[in-house]
Amino acid sequence: MPFNTSQTGWRARIERRLTGAREFVDDTDPEALAVVTASMGALLTAFIGFLLASPWTAVPFGAFLLVTGYGWARHQALVARAISLAMTTVTLLTLGLIVVFIFAESIPAFRYETASVFGVSVPGAGMFTQARWDAVSDPVRYSLLPMIHGTVMVTTIATLVAAPLGVAAALFIAEIAPPRVRELVKPGIEILAGIPSIVYGFIGFTVINPWASGAFDLNGGSTYLFVGMVVGLMALPTVVSVAEDALTSVPDVMKDGSLALGATDWQSMTSITLPAAFSGVSAAVLLGVGRAIGETMAATVMLAGVPRISDPLVNVFYGYETLTSLIARGYGSANGVHESALFAAGVVLFVTVLCLSIGSQYIEARMRRRLGGAE
Amino acid sequence: MSRATRTALVRDDRTLYEAVAGTAVGLSGVAFVVGLTALLGLVGIDDPVAGVGLSVALGALLLALGASVVGFGMASRFGFVDAAPQPSAGIVAAVAFTAIWGAVGAAASGAAGVGTGGRLALGAVLGGTAFAATAFPREDVGSTAPAGALAVLCGLSLLTGLIAPGWERALDGYNATLFGDTVVPAVVLFASLVTGWSAAKAYGGFGARGRNVGAYVLIYLVVGSILAVLVGLVAFVAAKGLPGLFNGFSLGGSGLVSWPFLTSGAGLTAEVAGVFPALLGTIWLVAGAVLFAVPTGVGAAVFLSEYAEQGRFTGAVEVATNGLWSTPSIVFGLFGAAFLIPRFGNQKSLIAGMLTLGFMLLPLVLITSREAILAVPDEYRDASAALGVSKWQTVRSVVLPAAIPGVTTGVILGVGRIAGETAPILLTMGGGVLPAKSAAPDVLGSFRLSASPPFVSNPSLLEATSALPYQLYALITAGLSGNIQNPQEYAWGLALTLLLVVLAFYAVGIATRYYFRRKLHQ
Repeated sequence: MPFNTSQTGWRARIERRLTGAREFVDDTDPEALAVVTASMGALLTAFIGFLLASPWTAVPFGAFLLVTGYGWARHQALVARAISLAMTTVTLLTLGLIVVFIFAESIPAFRYETASVFGVSVPGAGMFTQARWDAVSDPVRYSLLPMIHGTVMVTTIATLVAAPLGVAAALFIAEIAPPRVRELVKPGIEILAGIPSIVYGFIGFTVINPWASGAFDLNGGSTYLFVGMVVGLMALPTVVSVAEDALTSVPDVMKDGSLALGATDWQSMTSITLPAAFSGVSAAVLLGVGRAIGETMAATVMLAGVPRISDPLVNVFYGYETLTSLIARGYGSANGVHESALFAAGVVLFVTVLCLSIGSQYIEARMRRRLGGAE
Repeated sequence: MSRATRTALVRDDRTLYEAVAGTAVGLSGVAFVVGLTALLGLVGIDDPVAGVGLSVALGALLLALGASVVGFGMASRFGFVDAAPQPSAGIVAAVAFTAIWGAVGAAASGAAGVGTGGRLALGAVLGGTAFAATAFPREDVGSTAPAGALAVLCGLSLLTGLIAPGWERALDGYNATLFGDTVVPAVVLFASLVTGWSAAKAYGGFGARGRNVGAYVLIYLVVGSILAVLVGLVAFVAAKGLPGLFNGFSLGGSGLVSWPFLTSGAGLTAEVAGVFPALLGTIWLVAGAVLFAVPTGVGAAVFLSEYAEQGRFTGAVEVATNGLWSTPSIVFGLFGAAFLIPRFGNQKSLIAGMLTLGFMLLPLVLITSREAILAVPDEYRDASAALGVSKWQTVRSVVLPAAIPGVTTGVILGVGRIAGETAPILLTMGGGVLPAKSAAPDVLGSFRLSASPPFVSNPSLLEATSALPYQLYALITAGLSGNIQNPQEYAWGLALTLLLVVLAFYAVGIATRYYFRRKLHQ
């Protein structure tokens, strides 16, 4: 019975759509409709031509420009609507293309690293069940474990730096600072986000690494400890700005109620603002973690570039390789399965960060619903 | 209740107790700053201060701070001063002190040569004691005694020379050695943080007000350090980069200003090696990305906020946009390498770099434009519709003009972010380490028409081109050496140029925002 109703609902919806579309076609000037159809058709052809890497792509694209130019002059409203729709799909298309292309390129590596798990041969399992990455000498193996270990080390240290400092700074901007100070601190933190990662890396390479090498008598200057701290500094602005948004979105009436009961500012913050904005603040931390995982240049420049797991596991005084630095360092000189293995590292990165992003969006949406209900 | 009758509603008199506690907060701050300068190597920890080494002097200061912090707690506990402590210092403080004292126990027993089991045992004992000392007594004791004891311990070990300038300890199996030069400042930094917090609580008279003061001291310290790091970073790069940037700079002469670092390449013929090709490459890169991403992003924002009904499609676009926003830049680079390079002549090229950065810029533009369009009050749209103006006319003449400030700010800040990106162009655009001036892209001058498809070609768009961030990376991987006079100075000048380009975008973006906001509030 429920199946039936859902099916009829489905049909009714399609029918409604169809009627809507028919009415739209009937209401619209036929010439405008023809122009828009021609323009969108040309754009689609151009896109397909580009996907197939055809040299004739320029022809439909030129046609698209011509038809759209004509339509813009004669039927602006409809053309504008169609084009803005096409532009909206670009975002979805980009994400789709990224998924298709980096997955497709990584298939040979996953196939090469097929290993049997409980008697079933699983492609790509060899990347996670042994720890040898060597693209040159026999046996050639492409384990991602050393790089995942490096990424986890760097991200953990970065989060330990960015999360407490970021939340404290967000509290300061949103709750504590007088307006004048806020106008100074907020752009300051934004500027911190603007410093290019390669500049951080350059400072790390020329100043921090040599200093660490001397100050701790290291064997080489690369350490996960200092890479993590630098990356944490780079993830900090993300945490601050997202957490600050969450804190300011807590309705003032809630805080005012608490203050009117005689609570101190800090009591209102810890027992009203922070709990109410907790989801938003944790989403901020998640996004910061995502930034730290994806940070490339500082890690590439400061790390030693040896795909090996440090011993003992938690030794922060070694600095070998992360997923991002592996790709940045190896891409130009790699080919064949090796190159494909770099794409596999990209797949791991992309999937991890996308999950973090979707998770934080879910948390934020929940918070918005809850605060909306409370008001 | 009895307290309320004894204290005035407004406490404007400074009692001796508050004065002493305030001084302790200040002294902790002094110790923190001195510790920081010692850690950065600005002062040596064996520099003489009043006849003794700096580390001994700091030890004495910590000892005094620790003792006075314990004293504050006792004075309050035995009723010598007027305070409002709560029954317990709270679970957060208890957990923090448990962790700190547990670590102290483990480290100390490790230094004494005890095995892993012994270290765990001593750590657990000390941590448990600290937990009991923090959580069970009244707040005035709970939040001072463990803190004061820690400072006293740190102070004594510095004072007696247990940890002194010449001290060193190899970490077995960790490939590292700890030296007094780094451990002493670290100990001072940590202990002064703890005493500063505890003394600030005492200053506030414990209880709700004391916690308020204690938390504020820590938060102000955090924000102060972040700003100090920011200013320090920019100042450091500026100080190191200015000699390179102004190498051969002169005013007057034939061209009014001669600035060879920005106007010449790094070839053999150049008198002063410059970054012109990379600078021009960055400008073209940004221009191409903006040309692709800004119309697309703004158009999509208009569709999402004006035309589309909220539903599955808009939800999917939103998730995709936020997903793209947080996708690592190196993944965009991989995508550009796999998707764009085979379609543009099978080699790293300027246009592949432009489009890759355009894909990165797209979500930034879309998110900020959408926010700006949604922020336009609905009254504007209603008023326009009431006049009989069509939907599209309303969007074009009412909504978009009102949203332009927000869109512009978003675009400028987004451009600032992508202008400094290295990872994507490393994989898609390439370029030389030290390009000569002839390698600078001449995009406008090299459009060619031809009779065979694709009919329009532009060789300079299809060539590997250098950009500022990529050139800095290439210089680093080349070991900061090259066929120029002073590679170190050149690299710092390059880093400063890059920083200035990016910060200029940010400064303009932030200034635009302020300008429009002030206009709005007038």
